[in-house]
Amino acid sequence: MKVADIQRFCMHDGSGIRTTVFLKGCPLRCVWCHNPETQNNIKELLYYQNKCIGCGACAVCSQKAHEFSTFHTFNRNLCVGCGICAAECPVDALEIIGKDYTTQELFEIIEKDRAFYGQNGGVTVSGGEPFMQYKETFELLKLCKENGIHTTVDTCGYFNSDILEQAVSLTDLFLWDIKDTDSQRHKKYTGVSNEKIVSNLKFADSMGAKTRIRCILINGVNTNEQHYNNVFDLVSKLKNCEGVELIPYHAFGGGKSEALGKKNSGNNSWIPSERQIIEAKNYLLQRGIYVFNGC
Amino acid sequence: MKFFAVNGKRPVRLSEETRKFAFDSLNHKYGLETWGTPAVLMDDYEGFEYLTPLQKYDAAIERIAKTAPIRICEGERLSGAATLGLAIGHQIPAMFNSELGIFGSVSHLTIDFETVIKKGINHIQKQAEESMKKYKGTEKEQFVLSCLHCLNCMKIWHERYLNELKNKSEYRKNFENLQNVPFEPAANFYEAVQSIWFTFAFVRLCGNWPGIGRIDWLLGEYLEKDLADGTLTLDEAREILAHFFIKGCEWVRGGDYGSGDAQHFQNIVLAGVDENGKEVTNVVTYLVLDILEELGISDFPTTVRINKNTDKKLLTRVAEVIRLGGGVVAVYNEDLIIDSLTDYGYELKEARKFANDGCWEIQIPGKTRFGYIPFDALQIFQQITLDNYSENACFLDFNSLYNVFIDGLRNKVTEIFSEVNKRNFVYTALPTKDWKWASDMPCTVVSLFEEGCIENGCSYFEGGPIYNILSPHIGGLPDVVNSLYAIKKLVFDEHKVSFAEMMRLLKNNWEGNETLRQYTLNKYSYFGNDNDEVDVIAKNIIKDFSDICDNIISRYKTPAGISTFGRQLEWSPYRFATPYGKKAHDILSGNFSPTPGTDKEGATAIIKSYCKADLKRTVSGAALDIKLLPAAVNGENGIEAISSLIKGFVTLGGHFMQLDIADTELLKKAQEHPEEYQNLSVRVSGWNARFVTLNREWQDMIIAQTGSGF
Repeated sequence: MKVADIQRFCMHDGSGIRTTVFLKGCPLRCVWCHNPETQNNIKELLYYQNKCIGCGACAVCSQKAHEFSTFHTFNRNLCVGCGICAAECPVDALEIIGKDYTTQELFEIIEKDRAFYGQNGGVTVSGGEPFMQYKETFELLKLCKENGIHTTVDTCGYFNSDILEQAVSLTDLFLWDIKDTDSQRHKKYTGVSNEKIVSNLKFADSMGAKTRIRCILINGVNTNEQHYNNVFDLVSKLKNCEGVELIPYHAFGGGKSEALGKKNSGNNSWIPSERQIIEAKNYLLQRGIYVFNGC
Repeated sequence: MKFFAVNGKRPVRLSEETRKFAFDSLNHKYGLETWGTPAVLMDDYEGFEYLTPLQKYDAAIERIAKTAPIRICEGERLSGAATLGLAIGHQIPAMFNSELGIFGSVSHLTIDFETVIKKGINHIQKQAEESMKKYKGTEKEQFVLSCLHCLNCMKIWHERYLNELKNKSEYRKNFENLQNVPFEPAANFYEAVQSIWFTFAFVRLCGNWPGIGRIDWLLGEYLEKDLADGTLTLDEAREILAHFFIKGCEWVRGGDYGSGDAQHFQNIVLAGVDENGKEVTNVVTYLVLDILEELGISDFPTTVRINKNTDKKLLTRVAEVIRLGGGVVAVYNEDLIIDSLTDYGYELKEARKFANDGCWEIQIPGKTRFGYIPFDALQIFQQITLDNYSENACFLDFNSLYNVFIDGLRNKVTEIFSEVNKRNFVYTALPTKDWKWASDMPCTVVSLFEEGCIENGCSYFEGGPIYNILSPHIGGLPDVVNSLYAIKKLVFDEHKVSFAEMMRLLKNNWEGNETLRQYTLNKYSYFGNDNDEVDVIAKNIIKDFSDICDNIISRYKTPAGISTFGRQLEWSPYRFATPYGKKAHDILSGNFSPTPGTDKEGATAIIKSYCKADLKRTVSGAALDIKLLPAAVNGENGIEAISSLIKGFVTLGGHFMQLDIADTELLKKAQEHPEEYQNLSVRVSGWNARFVTLNREWQDMIIAQTGSGF
């Protein structure tokens, strides 16, 4: 499995204390993506220029991707993602993202915090989109469930509906992203339209899948009553939905896209105001939809 | 009136008057007043300089009882106050010829309040009279006479309060409530609280810093009876108990005093089982938590005994108070501690009574003389094992390095106790041919409340109590563990550097090879990251250190403990660079918590590393401090997260844990000193990053977000 990161002691990815596994690969290309290092399903090298001390340890590179004249230049085109430089970099200015794990290896890491999970805590498979690697994700979820660990999947909802039945049977809770309810805007900002996401959600719900709907709030994009009303419409028809998590846009993903050699994609004007957040929250609360705090 | 919370809002349950009383006390009103009357003067006492130490002590206590200022605070419901300033400075507040405190005083003990409230001080008086018959004409007579004298002084002081209250109609209730207690057994909850308070205040007035111990176990039955009889409401009981906590802040005087202006070891221990194994959690347990939650009083270090069967309701309440921040409430793993004490030789019934010395060091309250001797293991490692990083330091493999360190540890402990034995004992040629505690420091007042002293005719410092403990406390343990591990990896496993070169670099404070320093600092996973390879070193040192402690030859019991408290600051000038990349004089680990900046995997991994050692062997205690960001514990899930951490800590075999919620100030510090805050993860929904890897602008945003508490 290609893994971007594993974080223990996560408190905001479902119930209880959780270990979150961030997988590589996503079918969406949200312009606001906060984990851009998870988009591609390949090994990638992140280079944090601000951490570099210019020691030259990374010059071990067989492809000569790292050069030192007056300062360190990294030629990304030459990089084959072998990670040898990252292992040598003493300050972790170079970091390889996309290490391969077997499901058994991941399970052993997840198991480490079993004493803290209790009934409600457990594993959250996130990403990226976990179902891009659905076979391995299923294997991992199955292994966890068989061993009494609560399973949560954070999904963008965009995947082939053929796998839904199995996904539902292995997942105790879905954190299901509804990034926008306007199909055209959805396509414009994420690269795909939202029909499949919504139909998968309804289908999953009909099979008894427990869900929390995650809605990102982006000022000027989806901070309007029409969208809130559409969310209300959708959620009120779901039988097994616990409620909505509102996630205000933040620009923190931008730094990681810079480290990937891309333009900093952060956009401060997208950050919603406190008032907008409360408006969205109240709109849903007043119509009987539970809205989670503390996101 | 606002009572500060790091995180969230404090509820309001107490009356406006009580809240005002708390606000004034916490804002130094009574502390400054106390400071203004430092001591009684003995200058006009004829022939004072020719008296024996015990006679001087008795004279001073009498004068304190007769002349210390009486204080009755506006609206207070409990009477008695420790009004002499030198007591705040851990001295008997009496002066002779302008010399500060004639004698030092006693701390690190929890006295016997059970006898006080259930049997009354008159019972102690009878015991002393019995002892008098037994020891009349022996060398113990003087001490027993001093006991009778001090009891009489307490009566004098009590009488002064009654006289003062008698004529004040608004204090009628206080007057009536002080009639019987503490001399007679308490008849109800109000009297029981007054009985404990008055005794506590008298012992403190005489300069000592006793702990309170298991207040819910002491008071629960009284309150439950009153509530059942309908003679008291829960709200009234909360007010009364709140006054106990508020009056306990009468030494809070503000200003900068290094380690703070309060905290006189006035510990509180809540919940857990009684001597028969029955859970004691009761309505008082929850009232204490209500009061701490509302007033944020941090002056009573409060620890809750958690076991495998602890009620979810209690755990949730504890988590709610912890979440407000400020580190008011800590937890014990009661199951492990009781096993630890019985393994060490205590009877099970006795072990179940445990409380502490005022911080977290375990003791059986009311019958233990306690002291501890701290030392720095890192200095032993650097100065002795590695001979100040000289050319003579040369090891060919990890095991021989480890073994030489353990030898150094053993020598240090042996040396400490041979000094202690010389200083604290004299060999007597009396018929018993026994060791005798040598002490010329009178301490009769605390001896009255320590089982064994009156019966044995020996004071607290003369071996009177049932248990006499002097616990060696190892400090800098995680730093030694990390140092050993770094040498193992760099020199013996990966051959990145030779042993000789390593010593040279360390001697030069890493000058000349910053790359290697960064490598060792960042590339290895040190204690606190759930890495078995390093945690096993900690586990082995604790086993070996405990064995060393168990083999000490002394009349004391010498259980092992792990602590630094704040000594990592004091020790820093004497510490050199460390093999794991810290520079000379850096401030390193506190207690048995990871070295700042080396824990990168979060709180669960810290707890796991800590729990791998057999902490039953550290009978005195091993403290773990963890700071969490408010963002980590806000929202619906926060209470469950804190409860789950505590449950995991108990399941895995922890000993004592202090969870705290760090504020935005901490984040600002992290901006200035990122190297020390490597572990500060910022986790908001699915997004994650380490705080220190963000640039300034983003860090500022996170700080703003943390402050808003969304």
